[in-house]
Amino acid sequence: MLARVANNLFWMGRYIERSEHIARYLNVNYFSSLDAPNQLSQSRQFVLKSMLYMVGDPQEDDAILLEEEVLFKIALDQNTHFSIINNVKVARENANSARDLISTELYEAINKFYHFILNYDSEKFVKSGLHDFTVHVTEMTDILRGKIRGTLLHDSVYAIIMLGINVERATQIIRIINTKYNDALKSQGSYGDKSSKSFEWTTLLKCAESYDMMRRYYKKAPSSFSTLEFLILNPNCPRSIMNCLNQIYVNIKVLDTTTNYNKNSAAFLVGKVRAEFEYKNIEEIEGDIQLFIEKILDSLLQISLKMEKEFFNY
Amino acid sequence: MTNIENKIFSSYNRDSDLYDEIFDKKGKIKKVYQKLFNLYGEHSIEDYVKLNSKAKSSFFNQGITFQVYGDKVTKEKIFPFDLFPRIIDSIEWEIIEKGSLQRSKALNLFLWDIYHDKKIIKDGIIPMDLISSSENYLHQMIGIDPPGGIYNHISGIDVIKHKDGKYYVLEDNIRCPSGVSYVICNRTALKRALFGVFNHYQTYSVTNYAENLLDLLETVKPHGVDIPTTVVLTPGMYNSAFYEHSYLAKTMGVELVEGRDLFVENDFVYMKTIKGPEKVDIIYRRIDDQFLDPLEFKPDSSIGLPGLFAAYKKGNVTLANAPGTGVADDKAVYTYMPEIIRYYLKEEPILNNVHTYHCSRPEELAYVLAHIHELVIKPVDEAGGYGISIGNCLNDKEIEAVKKQILVNPRKYVAQPIMSLSVHPTYIDDTEEFEQRHVDLRTFSILGVDKEFVLKGGLTRVALKKGNLIVNSSQGGGSKDTWVLKND
Repeated sequence: MLARVANNLFWMGRYIERSEHIARYLNVNYFSSLDAPNQLSQSRQFVLKSMLYMVGDPQEDDAILLEEEVLFKIALDQNTHFSIINNVKVARENANSARDLISTELYEAINKFYHFILNYDSEKFVKSGLHDFTVHVTEMTDILRGKIRGTLLHDSVYAIIMLGINVERATQIIRIINTKYNDALKSQGSYGDKSSKSFEWTTLLKCAESYDMMRRYYKKAPSSFSTLEFLILNPNCPRSIMNCLNQIYVNIKVLDTTTNYNKNSAAFLVGKVRAEFEYKNIEEIEGDIQLFIEKILDSLLQISLKMEKEFFNY
Repeated sequence: MTNIENKIFSSYNRDSDLYDEIFDKKGKIKKVYQKLFNLYGEHSIEDYVKLNSKAKSSFFNQGITFQVYGDKVTKEKIFPFDLFPRIIDSIEWEIIEKGSLQRSKALNLFLWDIYHDKKIIKDGIIPMDLISSSENYLHQMIGIDPPGGIYNHISGIDVIKHKDGKYYVLEDNIRCPSGVSYVICNRTALKRALFGVFNHYQTYSVTNYAENLLDLLETVKPHGVDIPTTVVLTPGMYNSAFYEHSYLAKTMGVELVEGRDLFVENDFVYMKTIKGPEKVDIIYRRIDDQFLDPLEFKPDSSIGLPGLFAAYKKGNVTLANAPGTGVADDKAVYTYMPEIIRYYLKEEPILNNVHTYHCSRPEELAYVLAHIHELVIKPVDEAGGYGISIGNCLNDKEIEAVKKQILVNPRKYVAQPIMSLSVHPTYIDDTEEFEQRHVDLRTFSILGVDKEFVLKGGLTRVALKKGNLIVNSSQGGGSKDTWVLKND
């Protein structure tokens, strides 16, 4: 496979995954805030700022935001680089350049996805379409992942897309944890009761589509401890960082089949980070969550850079 | 004007001055179309409208689109597709197939000759001037032996049926003829919409093009290569034919590369893969000669590959089609095609040539200037239907402008009598009716070493504007599925 095309496929995977997380984040935060247990979490300004923080456009605490503007900016504005529409547009362009390698079915699904978003009435979206739109986006990304799994040969093309998806998923889960952790800190003390905290953790789990899984696993209301443990370390949760690292490890071995790793290779670094996580406990992480977040984001970046140098060099 | 009794054709206006592909002069349906006519007649026009929009969205969702270069914006458009197919029976097809192949072979021998001994010129069959004045004659190709002696591996020959019922060639395209992917898409779309009709006809499949292309390209692999690596070279995803490039790469199972994916080392070509460099032996290039190699041709080409031509000259890589083929599909060379066929093949041409006036010859120039209103004026070196003027569509002022243009550079223009392309019933969106529209046919033939292939089918292009004779997609043309019937 061509290095340039591999790079495009990697980013196709990343952009598809990214658009899903943004869409779900909008949906979950907006709708859970409507009947949130404390004033701050209910505040529309608080929710809008949380959304912008998540997509990487943090606002001043005292800024006054307009709901319709913020929603448009994050979802359908072609002039903001982080908008869902731009993510899907770039994913489609990446798919286009690799059209000879991916299946007709996958391309058709991406193309439909793009046209769905392109034709979505932005007036309707900002006034009443938030739920409809974001649910559609997450469903369509599910379809895309289904097509990726079911209509592609599981060879290096598949491995590269899966690398993109999992690197992005780990990154987004970390970003979401970071944002909600911030929110939880801020909302603390506005009432001071326990449920306010558990509310933010529930939202966090829902943003990662992991709430039902987590309830089944722990059988009680989420706490900061159990939520972080589940989302970071549980290898059976498909959205956990641990699971993403496992997936990255499996897929990078498809590309790099050597058994004696070169210490400078991407596969070596992935194995090292993964091993670190396997023997981590949540107490260590909870002790300094900020430091942990910075560290894992940096590790993911290093992995990406190494892969770029090794496989995407053209 | 006759009205035909059939639900779907009830409002079909037949102009008896035109050659209708499905009705004879008296308005009777031709035998080969009878079954199809009846089957379509079972549908109401409402059904048809529905099927039509379904077919359109199928094209759109698959991203089978092309770009039109407008004044300011470039638009992504669906290639308009008509659900009523064109049928060619086995007897007519034999003429087209043999005729297309005959022309491809003659052109190939002609190219070899003019880049080597130039016997045809020495023998006085064609004037030296024709070659030396052509922008597409590449002096870099003189004396080079392309692998297998093949220049025009892929030829697209544009054939029309005139009102005399005979087939004429309008143009030979032997640079990078495009459109073959639409032949296959049209078939797929028609099958999806109206699969039932195929039960009643024995039609040749068109999906075997890519396998034959790869097979024949591999016969011209560079000397000493055992299992060749073939690639398709595209200018990139913003090119209007990108869908076709990706389609061909995908169906041949080879890589689709851009110039920047390749590099040349010691006169060998390599592509940059995730596992390091991999040698490339055969390049089916879909970029023009001038952009192939900035060291040899246009120095500012960013889509080409520096050093490619040197590798080609050494015989380390095959280019299909070979550089310099453009000199032979020049519209001025076209006029000598009957002589070229007789000279090299010692055969009579199977397909007719349209009589052509050369503006470079003073007496013919005088005739052209005096008869512009009954002629088509074509620049000799433009592709895609650009720059064509049709005499009877021009007003006096426009005629004067065309005259001026010709006089500035007579070598650049040829003129032909206005051919009356046959018409085919075509569904028109605006009126929601079937109407007569002019059609042509592009055939695709491939030459390899001791092997050849003609796709049994082809691209029937339709001029969607009423009365229009230009069928190119860039000029608002559409297309139809084309059925070549088996013998029995």
